[in-house]
Amino acid sequence: MHVQDGYLSPEVCAATGLVAAAAVGYSIYKLRDDVSDRVVPLTGMTAAMIFAGQMVNFPIGLPVSGHLIGGVLAGMILGPWAGCLAVTMVLVVQRFLFSDGGLFSLGANILHMAVIGSIGGYAIVSIVRRFFKRPNVGAIVGSVVASWVTVVAASALFCLEFRLSHLAASFEFRNIFAMMVAIHSLIGVGEALITAAIVSYVLAQRPDLILGQTSTTGETAMAGVGRVTVAGIVVALCIGAFLAPFKSNFDDGLEHVSKVQGFSELAHSAWAFFTDYDAIPLFGGQWQGLSVSVAGVVGTLSVLLLALAFGRAVSPRSKAVEAGRE
Amino acid sequence: MTPSAADTVLEVSGLSFGYPNGRQALDNVRFTLRRGEILGIVGPSGAGKSTLLLHLNGLLPLRPEPTRAATNGAAVHVAGLSVGAANLAEVRRRVGFLFQDPDDQLFCPTVRDDVAFGPLNLGLPRAEVERRITASLGAVGLEGFESRSTLQLSLGERKRVCLAGVLACQPLILALDEPFSNLDPRARRTLVDVLRRFEGSQIIATHELDVVVELCNRVIVLDEGAIRADGPPASVLADEALMERHGLEVPLRLQLSRKPTP
Amino acid sequence: MNESTARPRPPRSLCHRLPPAVVLLLSVSAIALGMFLPPAHWPSHGALLCVLFAALGLARVPFAVVAGRLAIFLGFALLFAISVPLSQGFRGGFEIAQGILFRGTESFLAGLWLISVVPFERLLATLRRLGVPAILIAILAFMYRFLFVLWNELDTMRAARRARTFDRGGLAFRWRNAAQMIGMLLIRSLGRSERVYGAMCARGWDGTLRTLDE
Repeated sequence: MHVQDGYLSPEVCAATGLVAAAAVGYSIYKLRDDVSDRVVPLTGMTAAMIFAGQMVNFPIGLPVSGHLIGGVLAGMILGPWAGCLAVTMVLVVQRFLFSDGGLFSLGANILHMAVIGSIGGYAIVSIVRRFFKRPNVGAIVGSVVASWVTVVAASALFCLEFRLSHLAASFEFRNIFAMMVAIHSLIGVGEALITAAIVSYVLAQRPDLILGQTSTTGETAMAGVGRVTVAGIVVALCIGAFLAPFKSNFDDGLEHVSKVQGFSELAHSAWAFFTDYDAIPLFGGQWQGLSVSVAGVVGTLSVLLLALAFGRAVSPRSKAVEAGRE
Repeated sequence: MTPSAADTVLEVSGLSFGYPNGRQALDNVRFTLRRGEILGIVGPSGAGKSTLLLHLNGLLPLRPEPTRAATNGAAVHVAGLSVGAANLAEVRRRVGFLFQDPDDQLFCPTVRDDVAFGPLNLGLPRAEVERRITASLGAVGLEGFESRSTLQLSLGERKRVCLAGVLACQPLILALDEPFSNLDPRARRTLVDVLRRFEGSQIIATHELDVVVELCNRVIVLDEGAIRADGPPASVLADEALMERHGLEVPLRLQLSRKPTP
Repeated sequence: MNESTARPRPPRSLCHRLPPAVVLLLSVSAIALGMFLPPAHWPSHGALLCVLFAALGLARVPFAVVAGRLAIFLGFALLFAISVPLSQGFRGGFEIAQGILFRGTESFLAGLWLISVVPFERLLATLRRLGVPAILIAILAFMYRFLFVLWNELDTMRAARRARTFDRGGLAFRWRNAAQMIGMLLIRSLGRSERVYGAMCARGWDGTLRTLDE
């Protein structure tokens, strides 16, 4: 989902813009160390491919259809840093050529899709692959897990950004958070399916394109510690998404941040509403909290089942592919 | 009559190249190219024409795929300089390469930027770069195209912009891979005229045998990676048996000029 | 889909004579102004929107183009905007919704104006002069160059598939097809980038970015 100008406040836009600029700058810095002069054509072409791929419709029987987001895919093909740049370029072109996505919210979009999506996605895929002996299966399961987790984590980050943006005294944030997280859990499933399908197709023909990342650039694309840290943050966000509506440490942390930003009256009233479960009839009370948890459980189960199903689906072929590569 | 050493701009001796799957793409190819000569390379698809050309400016065998290739990097000499890893930059300055698909070669959004790419990489001062852009666009008949977007040109125009980009580097030798493919007759005529005006040597891999007869003063028939014939087009391409043996046909031009048998 | 369908190409107007940097500045300022106005203040936002529509008119962008694109944009913006008060049972959140609609629309129109007046290549040159890192500009230029090539390849693949699908297939079939097309595009375009890289090396590319300044 593209964040438009107007969803977030100028202050949050500035903050996310700075963090995004730092991340992009760091990615450029990491690529400068890379000996390859291929970066420009490879990244540019992959960015163009992802842009084009995002236009492909995946029908869901409703007027809206599913689409590839491509953050994890970019990270798998190019590695975390070039992947982050590629997705950033897609967002920039979408904004400047098609006015799709806000200008001041580019920072937030970059954080969601390029940083969490590509860098975080790469970290998760790298870690998941270590649990599998067969690289093909590992890549597919990794892509499934990374796609779902990064989409939900991005929605959690958005909820945080939204919360910090709006100073509405009588606004119940948890309802819209619940909606966001629930919808993105579904979007995440879609992205997981699409990415895994693309990855398995490419693995059958050109496994070097997907698996190459850990061999050509070596394990140094992201040090082990870095990988775990990034993956950990992303997973934490993802978990946070489901805990957001409930009174928890998340709220304490949020209250602290809110105070620091001077939104103390907002925090005060938010506390009052978090303790009051009968506030809203439509998404009221325990039902709302329950629905979010159900979404979380369903989402997690779906992810696991998908991962297993795809892993098994690809395994007979992966034997043949590996035999061919010997 | 053997060409004098000073006259030879390109010497290929004993060039062989095999793909990783064992297929032999080039088999002991040897020939020389003289100054000002226009050499045509013809042969059936898969004969190794493109592979041969890619060796002339060092793009092969330096692909990342590991190969047990029986290729000898020192088997190609450009104006006395042996093509190898040490002097790729200079070799590429001397040999201008035109790829078959302009979309593989033209990668800047504007014509000016793309033609400037080569000269800028040569480290030339800006004034000289500008001069070369104007000169090379003029040479290909695209005066005034500097600010045009490369996205909106016809195929023939894109091919000519690519050629301008190569000419701007002022190479000794032009190596062209299927330059006439997919061009309509007018675009093909324009390209032939442009090539005729080029002062250096040329080596052209093509299926267009009529153009070979018109443009080239020498032709090599390549089949299965080996040279099967080397001589003037009028005699080599008129040899029906030879043509048939290698999946080619005697070009119309030569068929028509043959005297009818009584 | 090619470059001219993506970008409106109105005939030259007053706006086209402005230096690209000025156009960029005006566009960004308009969006910033909208962000700092109170979110639900109709008079000021209304005025800003009028100014933006006037700018688009001045740039001679056809009304049909503006209306068409705006309609698509508003469709999605409304969805999110409505969901905010919806989440409150329509008892609140209206201010936020209005802010979303106003600021989003202003940003969209200002962006449309910018891209109608300034060709993308000149925008890139302007961004470069403003200090955006050279590698980003190079990647953007490259991406822009091949964007429409790949898009058309995808369209061609889609048409070729449709010619042989004969209306078969449910959702799973269509998903697999769509994913295969993207996968094929991926493989082909990465192969193409190898060839382009070779062509760049053939003209002396060594990874150092060099451009002619405007």
